[in-house]
Amino acid sequence: MRDSFAGLHPALTFSYFVCMIACSMLVMHPIAQAIALVGAFSYSVLVKGAKALKFSFIYLLPMLLIMAVMNPAFNHQGVTILFYLKSGNPVTLESILYGVAAAVMFITMILWFSCYNAVMTSDKFIYLFGKVIPALSLVLSMVLRFVPRYIEQIKAISHAQRCIGRDMTQGNLWSRAKNGINILSMMTTWALENGMETADSMKSRGYGLPGRTTFSIFRFDGRDGILLGIMGLLAAIMGAGIMSGTVSMRFFPSIKLAPVTVWSMAVYAAYALLCMLPVIINLQEAWKWKRIESKM
Amino acid sequence: MSIQSLNGQGKRRLLAAILILIVIPLTILAGVFYFDDRKYYFISMLIIVYTMLPFAMVFEQRGPRARELILIAVLAALAVAGRSAFYMLPQFKPVVAIVIIAGVCLGAEAGFLVGALAGFVSNFFFGQGPWTPWQMFCFGIIGFIAGLLFQKGKLSKTRLSLCLFGGLATFFIYGGIINLGSLFMFTAEFSWGALLATYISGFWFDMIHALSTVIFLFLIARPMIEKIERVKIKYGLIEPGDEK
Repeated sequence: MRDSFAGLHPALTFSYFVCMIACSMLVMHPIAQAIALVGAFSYSVLVKGAKALKFSFIYLLPMLLIMAVMNPAFNHQGVTILFYLKSGNPVTLESILYGVAAAVMFITMILWFSCYNAVMTSDKFIYLFGKVIPALSLVLSMVLRFVPRYIEQIKAISHAQRCIGRDMTQGNLWSRAKNGINILSMMTTWALENGMETADSMKSRGYGLPGRTTFSIFRFDGRDGILLGIMGLLAAIMGAGIMSGTVSMRFFPSIKLAPVTVWSMAVYAAYALLCMLPVIINLQEAWKWKRIESKM
Repeated sequence: MSIQSLNGQGKRRLLAAILILIVIPLTILAGVFYFDDRKYYFISMLIIVYTMLPFAMVFEQRGPRARELILIAVLAALAVAGRSAFYMLPQFKPVVAIVIIAGVCLGAEAGFLVGALAGFVSNFFFGQGPWTPWQMFCFGIIGFIAGLLFQKGKLSKTRLSLCLFGGLATFFIYGGIINLGSLFMFTAEFSWGALLATYISGFWFDMIHALSTVIFLFLIARPMIEKIERVKIKYGLIEPGDEK
């Protein structure tokens, strides 16, 4: 399906992901972690479907278990001693819980990054940063284009070399390696010469002159403005929550959770809304479509 | 010898001084006071990003020429293509080798940019993650150091010296920093024991990586340096008085 969160202005999506990744990196309170994990997981499933589910259960779940076990093996802080290892070091409840919390945090971060990779395509990134770092974002877009092109070119060269018996699949090991290096060397020459031609062509078409435009054009409309306001408000509440210590948690030497108050409830509510924002936007869009369809 | 003039260095030094003396301590203080639980990873990542800023800012301010941009882009793209060509062999990657060649042939700044870009762009293909800034910094700084050492005459274009530098830099600089980063990523309480354990568990990976750099430098350094030098002469990228 079409992801309507990805249809927003790139400035919005980029700041959203920066904000979410920073939050999930900073907050270890179990309630906040659970909120972020649910938000990141549901959005990644929404964006990538069954692939995200498979990824989560094949890679992330075992990673969570391994990290939870690894931490108490190296970390012996904490007052609640469960048992002693053979080396004489204690295994504490605190270090196990810390391991779980760190693992959940890491997985949440990976999930947010996987959503980021799907939503923030490179043209959006270049659109956003083209004004701030024009030279570097131009280099960036060129590298992104060059890589698939070079892989194609390497294939073309090695096919041509195969005709005269100088491919990487021909001859003994030594001549194979030599052929490989030769192909790479031809590739380098081609890439450099070709690049210089591109540079000349860029110059003759006015590279470096003011008023450059981008490939993709995004318009910052009223909806983006409203959503930016909502996101800013929610993020500000969450930020205030982090600063005032409402969502903090202490693991060592003993576990101490910040108490649940009206203020902390408000912070969690804001964080939950923020984490679910992409899913909410998508659901609302789907509902709108349904309503329009049923009217017809 | 290097395609850029060196007036960027003074500015970079000033920017770097401001960042190191003012912004980094402020970040650490803020982390100590506000983020009790996750300070190490967040702060270390911010510091890594700060160290890359002066390079980006100086490069932007200089208004580089189109040919210069293209050379950097071509080398970064070759490094990324090389990384994806060897995707099935973990740690056996030509990226560091190409970054070192870039640093030696095009100067320290270009070396840094090629490395950082190669790290950034290859993760567009392999997936961005919390490791991206660390990889960018490690690749970049190796290219930067290679360029500096070459400029100072401590590193020559011979195979032996390049291979020696490449192996050591990959093992100690790349391995040293990346392992520290992954320690911060997985645990919050810093301890020397855990650091040692991380280094030990990463030993063979770093070893393979260093070895692959040596092999790639041994094989491709000479042809690639030749090609780059040829292009530099053919298209007049050498500034008068630069040739040693």
